[in-house]
Amino acid sequence: MATTARNNLSAKLVLLGDMGAGKSSLVLRFVKGQFLDFQESTIGAAFFSQTLAVNDATVKFEIWDTAGQERYHSLAPMYYRGAAAAIIVYDIASIDSFARAKKWVEELQKQGNPNMVTALAGNKADLEEKRKVTADEARVYAEENGLFFMETSAKTAANVNEIFYEIARRLPRAQPSQNPAGMVLVDRPAVGSQSSACCS
Amino acid sequence: MLQDDDDANSSSETDSIDQNPNPNPTTSIDQSLDAIEGQLTSISLHSIPPIPQIISALPSDSHSQLQQATVAQNLEYIDTLPSDSHSQVEQVVESPGEVDMERGVVDNSVSRGQGVLWRNNSDVDVDVEGQGSPSSSGYAGGKGTSSSSSGISGSGIEEISGDDEVDRVEVVNRSASFGASVDSEWLPGKRHVNEDDASVSWRKRKKHFFILSHSGKPIYSRYGDEHRLAGFSATLQAIISFVENGGDRVKLVRAGKHQVVFLVKGPIYLVCISCTEEPHESLSEQLELLYGQMILILTKSINRCFEKNAKFDMTPLLGGTDAVFSSLIHSFSWNPATFLHAYSCLPLAYATRQAAGAILQDVAESGVLFAILMCKHKVISLVGAQKASLHPDDMLLLANFVMSSESFRTSESFSPICLPRYNPMAFLYTYVYYLDADTYLMLLTANPDAFHRLKDWRIRIEMVLLKSNVLNEAQRSMVDGGMHVEDLPVNPSPLSGSLSSHLGQPRPPLDSTDGCKTLLGGPAGLWHFIYRSIYLDQYVSSEFSSPVNTPKQQKRLFRAYQKLYTSMHDRELGPHKTQFRRDNNYVLLCWVTQDFELYAAFDPLADKVCFLL
Repeated sequence: MATTARNNLSAKLVLLGDMGAGKSSLVLRFVKGQFLDFQESTIGAAFFSQTLAVNDATVKFEIWDTAGQERYHSLAPMYYRGAAAAIIVYDIASIDSFARAKKWVEELQKQGNPNMVTALAGNKADLEEKRKVTADEARVYAEENGLFFMETSAKTAANVNEIFYEIARRLPRAQPSQNPAGMVLVDRPAVGSQSSACCS
Repeated sequence: MLQDDDDANSSSETDSIDQNPNPNPTTSIDQSLDAIEGQLTSISLHSIPPIPQIISALPSDSHSQLQQATVAQNLEYIDTLPSDSHSQVEQVVESPGEVDMERGVVDNSVSRGQGVLWRNNSDVDVDVEGQGSPSSSGYAGGKGTSSSSSGISGSGIEEISGDDEVDRVEVVNRSASFGASVDSEWLPGKRHVNEDDASVSWRKRKKHFFILSHSGKPIYSRYGDEHRLAGFSATLQAIISFVENGGDRVKLVRAGKHQVVFLVKGPIYLVCISCTEEPHESLSEQLELLYGQMILILTKSINRCFEKNAKFDMTPLLGGTDAVFSSLIHSFSWNPATFLHAYSCLPLAYATRQAAGAILQDVAESGVLFAILMCKHKVISLVGAQKASLHPDDMLLLANFVMSSESFRTSESFSPICLPRYNPMAFLYTYVYYLDADTYLMLLTANPDAFHRLKDWRIRIEMVLLKSNVLNEAQRSMVDGGMHVEDLPVNPSPLSGSLSSHLGQPRPPLDSTDGCKTLLGGPAGLWHFIYRSIYLDQYVSSEFSSPVNTPKQQKRLFRAYQKLYTSMHDRELGPHKTQFRRDNNYVLLCWVTQDFELYAAFDPLADKVCFLL
C-alpha cells in the first residue's frame, strides 16, 4: 500500500503477465536503462526500487518483477498482496499473452486491493509487423475494466518511463483521480515500428 | 611384480581389499597388494574367463567379468548388424515373451534404439570377435526374463556390451574430442533444440537424459525439443510399463556400448542413455539428482497433478529451467560433489571465515532457517537454525539452481524453492543476493512474508562482510585456488600436518620413500587427490596441475574417481577399505575409513616404493 511521509510516497508495484511478455525488460529499462535482446526468465520474483519525482512529491516504487511461468502463478498473491499499483503486461504479438493478461486483471479484481492503480501495457510495440493484438481492442478492454492502457517498447524505450510516471501520478494521495481511467493515452506504436525493420 | 603385469593390465582391473583393521596397515596392505597382484598375473585381462574364485577375490571386478562371459552371445549381434534397423526389428519380433498389445511400441523402440541410438556407427569396428550364438536382441532377453517375473537380481535386465577395456579407452578418447569441445566452451541453456530422434547428430550424443511422465509425455530432454521427442518418450514409457506389468522393474539395459538406466519416481520416469563408460550406479545417482533438481523447482506435490489427470503435461511448469538442468548435467562431468555427496569449502583464513560465520549465526538465530554464503560452488560459510541440517545434495542442487539462473544476478530475488532432502513436499522461500560477481548470499525461510526482514539482514551482512574484508579474501582465494600437489613437502609428516590443520580430521599416515625419481606433480608422483570427511560432509581436492591440465584429462580423471567411488561403495560387496588400481593413465589409490575417504592419483610410472602405503 502506498504510504506517505510528507511529500514522499512509497508504493509497492507489481508486474504481472505471461512469460516472455517483457516484464523484466520493462523494469530493467525503467530502473537501469538497459535492454537485452535475450532476457533470461525470471525465477520467483526480482525486487527493484526506483524513485520518481512527480510534481513536488517523490514516489519510491518498490517493484516486484514476478516470473511469468505457470509454476509461480499460485504464489503470485504473495507478491501482489498489498500492492498500490500493478502493471499487467502482454506482448502485442501474442494473443495468448493478451488472454493471460485478462486473467490477471480478473484475479486482481477479485483478490487485489480495490484502490490499486492498474495499468495494462501492450509491450513489444516495436514489433508492429508481428502485431496480433490491436491497440483498439486492448484500449476498449482497458476502459471496460477501469485500467489505463499504453503500448510500450522496452527495446526502444517508448512509453516505458511514461507508464511509470502515469502510475505515480495516479497513486492515491498524490493526485487522486484527476484523470478518469482510460483518457490519458500516449499511444504511439508507430514510432517504434518505423525503426523495427531488423528487430528480433 | 607390479611392474611386470603393469603392461598387461592395460586398464583398471587391479583391486585390493583389506577388510581387516590392522595396527600396522602399511605392511598388511602392502602384502595383500602383492598377493592380489600375484593372482592377477595369472589372469590375462584381455580374455578373462569367468573364473569363480577370481571373482570372489576381486569383488569389484566380478561384474565386468560376468559381463564378459555373456558378451560372447551378443558380440555377433553387434558385429553383423551395422545399423540396419530393419533386420533388428526382425530379431526382436522373433523374441519370446512378447505381449501382443505392447508389441507395436516396443518393437518400434528396439528398432530405433539399437539400430541408431545405442550404437555409434563409427565405433562398430571395435574389434569384436564374432562368436556365433543365435542370440536375440537384448530387449528380447530382457522381456523374457521380466515377463516370467523371476525377479532379476540387482541390476535388472542386463544386456551386455562387448568391448574390452583397451577398446573402451580408445572409444572414450575418440569420442572425447566431441565431448571436450563441448566441455571447454560450455554454455548454459539447452543446445541443439532442433534435433529430434530422427537426427543423426542427436543419436550420436554420448549422454542423453530424459524426464517423462508415466503416461509417456516428455518433460525434459537434454538434447532436442521435448515435444518432438514425444514418440521416443512414449517408447521409453512402454519399456518401463512393460516390465512393470510383469511385476518387475527395469533398472538397466545394456546395448552395445550404451547403457540405458531407468529411475521411476511415482508418476515421473527418468532415463539416462549413455555410452560414457560410467558405472550404471553413477548414472542412477545422477538421475536421482536430476529428479531432486526437479523437486527443488516444483516440490513433490507435483504428483497430485498426475493423480488428478494422468495425462497432465508438465512441460509448462518447468518453463525457463533448461539452463538449470543442463548445468546440473554438465556438473556430472566435473563436480566431484555429484558423486561424493559432500560439499567443498572455499579456502579462507580462520579469522575471515569466523567473521562470516558470526554474522550468519546472528541471522540464523532470528528465524532464518539456513543462511548460506557461497562463492561459485564453494561454501564460505553455512549456518542452520537449531536442528535444521542441510544435506550436501540439497546444497549442490540449490547452488546449481541459483548459479544457472541469470535472473538472480540482476537484482535481489525472493523465490520459492524446495529442498528435496529437507522437505520434499513444501516450498521454502529463498532470498538471493549477489554480493559480487561470484559471491552470493542465500537466506532460506519458511515465511513467505519475510522478504523485507531478509533484505534488512542482507544489508547488515553485507556491511559486516565488507568491513571484515571477507569478499576480497574470497575473491583472492578464488584466484589462488586450493591446494597444489607441488606444494606438498616430500618428507613424511608435513603432508598430514598441513591437511589436518585444515580440516581437523585424522589423516592417513603418509610415507614417501627417499630416492624416488623426480616426477611431475607432487611428492611420490602424486598428481591429484580428493579427501572427503564423512563427519563434516565436506571434501577438499587439490587443484589440477601439470600432468592433468587439459579438460580432457581432467574429465578422464574425474571419471576414474567416479568409478573408484562406485566400486568402493558397492552395495553387495562393499564397502571396502582400500583399493589400489593401476592402468595406463594413473595409479589410483582409495582409502576409506569411518572418518574419511581419500582418493589419490599417481603417476603410473612411479616406482611402487614411492606410493604412500
